[in-house]
Amino acid sequence: MAQSTAQRRLLQEYRALTNNPPEGITAGPVSEDDILHWECLIQGPEDTPFEGGVFPAELKFPKDYPLAPPSMKFLVDLWHPNVYPSGLVCISILHPPGDDPNHYELAAERWSPIQSVEKILISVMSMLAEPNDESPANVEAAKMWRDHRDEYERKVRDSVLKMLGL
Amino acid sequence: MVEHDVTDSTDWLSTPLSALTPLESALRCQVCKDFYTTPMLTSCSHTFCSLCIRRALASDMKCPLCRANDQEMKLRSNWSMEEAVEAWKGARSRTLEMARSRGAPGSPKRKANEVELEEQTGSKRLRSSARLSGKATMPSYAPKPIGGDDIVQISDGEEEFEPEPDDGLVSCPSCRKRMKEWQVFTHLNTCTGPSPKPKTPPKPQLGAFGQPQQKAKDRLPAVNYSMLKDNALRKRLADLGLSTQGPRTILESRHREFLTLWNANCDAVYPKRKAQLISDLESWERAQRTGGANRGTMVKDKEFDGVAWAQKHGDSFKDLVAEALRNRAVAKSKSIPEDGGPAAEHEPRKPAEESLPFPSNPAAVVPITAGDGVAMLSRPANEQEDQAIHVAVRVTESSSDIPLAGRTYHAQNASHGEPRPRQDCDNVVPAQFDPGAHGTGFLRD
Repeated sequence: MAQSTAQRRLLQEYRALTNNPPEGITAGPVSEDDILHWECLIQGPEDTPFEGGVFPAELKFPKDYPLAPPSMKFLVDLWHPNVYPSGLVCISILHPPGDDPNHYELAAERWSPIQSVEKILISVMSMLAEPNDESPANVEAAKMWRDHRDEYERKVRDSVLKMLGL
Repeated sequence: MVEHDVTDSTDWLSTPLSALTPLESALRCQVCKDFYTTPMLTSCSHTFCSLCIRRALASDMKCPLCRANDQEMKLRSNWSMEEAVEAWKGARSRTLEMARSRGAPGSPKRKANEVELEEQTGSKRLRSSARLSGKATMPSYAPKPIGGDDIVQISDGEEEFEPEPDDGLVSCPSCRKRMKEWQVFTHLNTCTGPSPKPKTPPKPQLGAFGQPQQKAKDRLPAVNYSMLKDNALRKRLADLGLSTQGPRTILESRHREFLTLWNANCDAVYPKRKAQLISDLESWERAQRTGGANRGTMVKDKEFDGVAWAQKHGDSFKDLVAEALRNRAVAKSKSIPEDGGPAAEHEPRKPAEESLPFPSNPAAVVPITAGDGVAMLSRPANEQEDQAIHVAVRVTESSSDIPLAGRTYHAQNASHGEPRPRQDCDNVVPAQFDPGAHGTGFLRD
């Protein structure tokens, strides 16, 4: 069967990720039947309240990948200004350069076909460490992060501990 | 299977030749991550596959790397790159094989091992080198790390070198004809180069790159689709020999993709035939419409053709229903002979029932009447199966024109008595994660 551009490119990325896995990140297709659906695990970055946690997420790729970006959704509750309560991640690298309803993202940070799963996951890791409260996806979390940092950190830490079953 | 032909620059990392990783990644397109196919230079001096950059420009008009504005018309072929890629592709598999056979994969002790290996395999390598160079015996200086091939080539060069005869003449630097010193400059004006002693005829592929084949095919200009009426667009498609079926959006994307394929093909050194391009277009269209995750941009959702989808998958729904009926029959025949059986069977299922999650997509269940749904949850497994199947069958019969994926699928799950849990917050326990056991490892060798 002829592979579509998207499939081939994802196989290529998967190969690179298995050959040379970035620290704190695991990712791969959920099943062989559907290479456009990936699952990944991200470690909470050190020296942040997320430290020690491992956060599963799913990535869904469009058929015209890499022209259009995938969507990413955490499969656990994550209290973070840039993550919707549904788990959907709101970060500039996942937004195509075309539409910017908020006009706050630099074009250079947006999706481009040269980006990759690895770069997305690294960006998400750094997003965990440094939230962007300019256009929060979770307004409550953003407020708490801005005004009551202690409370925010405690809440995140508690949720990490709970997730680990401690 | 498919994954075997996927190579990556990181393949070198586990070998002693890990320094080749950046070299190879320089020979790969940043968009498709594969080796350049018909590399093209943009106005901003970046290189991409012809097809990749044309597709990117068709959707965005910007260089994917630096986001400078660019146009397809301004792309120029990068033949040197193509030559480099072809040469490397030719050498890659053998080099990798050799590197792997010698490699102590990425361990810190690599250097020590390497030395050991070299000593062990020293004599072997000599033999193979001898075979390669076509000589039965090796000269005594052979045990150098350099392969026999190199040595032979050096000696080849030495054969050509002739010491200057002491005849008071000098040789032309170009054709090596011997003449008096004062004649050289005038001779050089008319010298036709080295005399016909072509020991190394130019490689055929070099010739091909140097003299591009007949550029008979003309590139097709981009079309402003908003200015084009439906019929005019259909006529254009027909003129190109393409299908004129489908709604307007499909027609436009089909035409646009064909232009991209066609123009990229015009850049190629060995262009494909038009029939091949049309079949490429068809497989592209299949990939865009079927298979894979449903996600997509808003545009995709608008293009979604519900009726066609229902028609296309109607058979699989019927199959699912039939299978559910079969399973029900099997379950019945099992429960009749052994009386104690069903009760015992129900016991272990209890926990599953209690935690019976609402299936992944709540919307999929809601259409099944609320009464049934509630009743289902409180009944023993077998009856529950029956109920679910009834629901599925009834729904299918009464409104066959509506896609039934969610409902029939639910029936199918219920008929097995073990609804597949969705990966929800509760089911994913990261602490227990084992990378090997996780579903992400299917491509590991």
